[in-house]
Amino acid sequence: MKRLQIIIGKIIVKLLHLMKRNAGNLPGIVLWHISRHKAVSMFKVDCPIIAVTGTNGKTSVTNCIAQLFERSGKKIITNREGNNLDTGICSLLLRHCDMKGRVKADYLILETDESHVPVVYSQLKLDTLIVLDFFRDQLDRNGEMETLIQKINGFCKTFKGNLILNGDDPNTARLGKANPGNKNVKYFHAEPYAFATKTIYEASEGRFCPFCGEPLEYSYYQYSHIGKFRCPKCGFGDYEPYITASGIDLTKPVFTADGHTYAPKLNSIYNVYNMTAVAAAAKLYGIEQNITDSVISAYTVKNGRMENFMLGDRKTTLNLAKNPVGANMTLRVMNEMEGEKELLFVLNDNVADGLDVSWIWDINFSIFERVTRVVTAGTRAHDIAVRIKCSGYDQSKIVVRPDLDKAVEELASTPGRKFVIANYTAVQPTRAALKRYIAKNGGRTE
Amino acid sequence: MSTIKILHMYADMLDLYGDSGNMEVLSYRCRMRGIECVIDKYSIDSPMPDFSSYDLIYIGGGADLEQQHISADLLKCREGIAKAYKEGVFLFLICGGYQLMGRYYRDADGNDIPGLGLFDYFTVAPNSRRKRCIGNIVIRTQLTGKAVDVVGFENHGGQTQGVKTPFGKVLYGNGNCSKSEAEGYTEKNVIATYLHGPCLSKNPEISDYMIEYCLSRSSGGKVQLQKLDDTLENQCRKVMLDRLLK
Repeated sequence: MKRLQIIIGKIIVKLLHLMKRNAGNLPGIVLWHISRHKAVSMFKVDCPIIAVTGTNGKTSVTNCIAQLFERSGKKIITNREGNNLDTGICSLLLRHCDMKGRVKADYLILETDESHVPVVYSQLKLDTLIVLDFFRDQLDRNGEMETLIQKINGFCKTFKGNLILNGDDPNTARLGKANPGNKNVKYFHAEPYAFATKTIYEASEGRFCPFCGEPLEYSYYQYSHIGKFRCPKCGFGDYEPYITASGIDLTKPVFTADGHTYAPKLNSIYNVYNMTAVAAAAKLYGIEQNITDSVISAYTVKNGRMENFMLGDRKTTLNLAKNPVGANMTLRVMNEMEGEKELLFVLNDNVADGLDVSWIWDINFSIFERVTRVVTAGTRAHDIAVRIKCSGYDQSKIVVRPDLDKAVEELASTPGRKFVIANYTAVQPTRAALKRYIAKNGGRTE
Repeated sequence: MSTIKILHMYADMLDLYGDSGNMEVLSYRCRMRGIECVIDKYSIDSPMPDFSSYDLIYIGGGADLEQQHISADLLKCREGIAKAYKEGVFLFLICGGYQLMGRYYRDADGNDIPGLGLFDYFTVAPNSRRKRCIGNIVIRTQLTGKAVDVVGFENHGGQTQGVKTPFGKVLYGNGNCSKSEAEGYTEKNVIATYLHGPCLSKNPEISDYMIEYCLSRSSGGKVQLQKLDDTLENQCRKVMLDRLLK
């Protein structure tokens, strides 16, 4: 029966290839249904599996860890395209298995959606789980965040493998206590950077100790609720870090971890955390230092994550923001930059975005500095316009252009520096619109 | 200059789905008219405030865990809130705040979290945490004296029953219970609703009803508010009404 299902799956993959269609999810969905949700258990995987999960940073960390092993000469299988749901992982394994369902590789490195960790890894033996952070994200699809953490916590209760956790996020650090018998819990941590604050800056969750309900005390916040916290009552937050990022200087940018100094390409505190997680994985698997070095120092992204464009002679930076934390980070980067600038905010409310757009009210627009004009676009262009207006921004400087091409034209109609923030389903159409503008009016993509 | 004094309760704990945005909208609409809007915050362990000294008391929504945290503290405030409400102080309550003013909230495990019992309704969460009323919602309210279509987003497990005077009639979405006809609870000085969005963001008439109520009450006469340019808000609502009702 299993064999028949795998053959059916493989035929679907082949057919899709013949039709020149991407086999990212569909074969997995079919298999998932005919196997009554046990699709993943049909595969036989003997090599170690490393899974990366969390709200922000999964794709970056997964890609870097994949490179660590690739450059060490290992055969790896990874979901680079970010198909990170159970069905996506199932499709990936289908493409790489033989007719008996055996998957041959040295390592499997899988970006995994937070809510799919328990279901996938109750069927596949996991060697290492890396949990980056938990932020409000698409709440209406996943239910409340606490439910999500409880789900993963339930999985961690019986998990004995390596658990690499962000020790500066109480939402992830608490998972380290789920299974007191697991001796393989490792925390990564970062010392304060130049823009760390004593008080909290953005709306966030996890203000209370999950074990005793006491308010957590922070010696500093890096961004949102990420920082050095401790429960004054039960001591939650006291741990010996496995790896610590120190000497963080984002102007260069550099940071030191485990006695080694890295010079990454991306200059955000986000990236420091992500790369510290990568360094933790490298340490755990004994990757050679020069390989870790080359991966961390070369890593950059081109998926609308701080991606630069020239609209004619106007420098434009596009950043994806799926949630308030991502948007607040972009606003900070924008503010820290000298001179005047204009912002295009593209907001969609498609199913994958989460239908609820109220998260935009957790973005702190009152910090706007030298922002001379705002253009809004997307299916909820008006909502983001109202939001920015109510933060006190002059409404006569807000232009609503739901259509993306018109919005990009509007943005490019004036000289100067431009920023674009787009949420999840908006980011690819926005890139396309920017490229169409460049094709028509000149400029370049970097 | 006239002043509105607002007490925002548990802002640090009950702040899901941008509910604090309601405070931003109210203070924005006051500021544009030269009305001073003072927002004080109250949370667990704050000294007991004089509830009656405020014009409006606001409580937002939160996750189950946070709601449990605050319920014991809220009960300590019962007398003060009940007195203020009877004196005509406006109560603006979203989601969890709405539920906790009723008789009780029975959670998914069957435990009762006692409410303040200011109003007769009560709320029961379904046994499964998966059964939630989630999505865009449109209701028609007569609160301001004429029909106003209010657009928001609902996301609640709890089913609220025993409401005699709902905030509005459901035109799209669920309301107090799954697929119900009525949404929220209202009196002349109470708006209790499941609408997030935040609720006031594209429904300026509702904000202005509250501001007008507060100013009229404190001045002892009928106050007429200066009109504001609500083009963006009205377009924003129209986009959603066209999408959901047509």
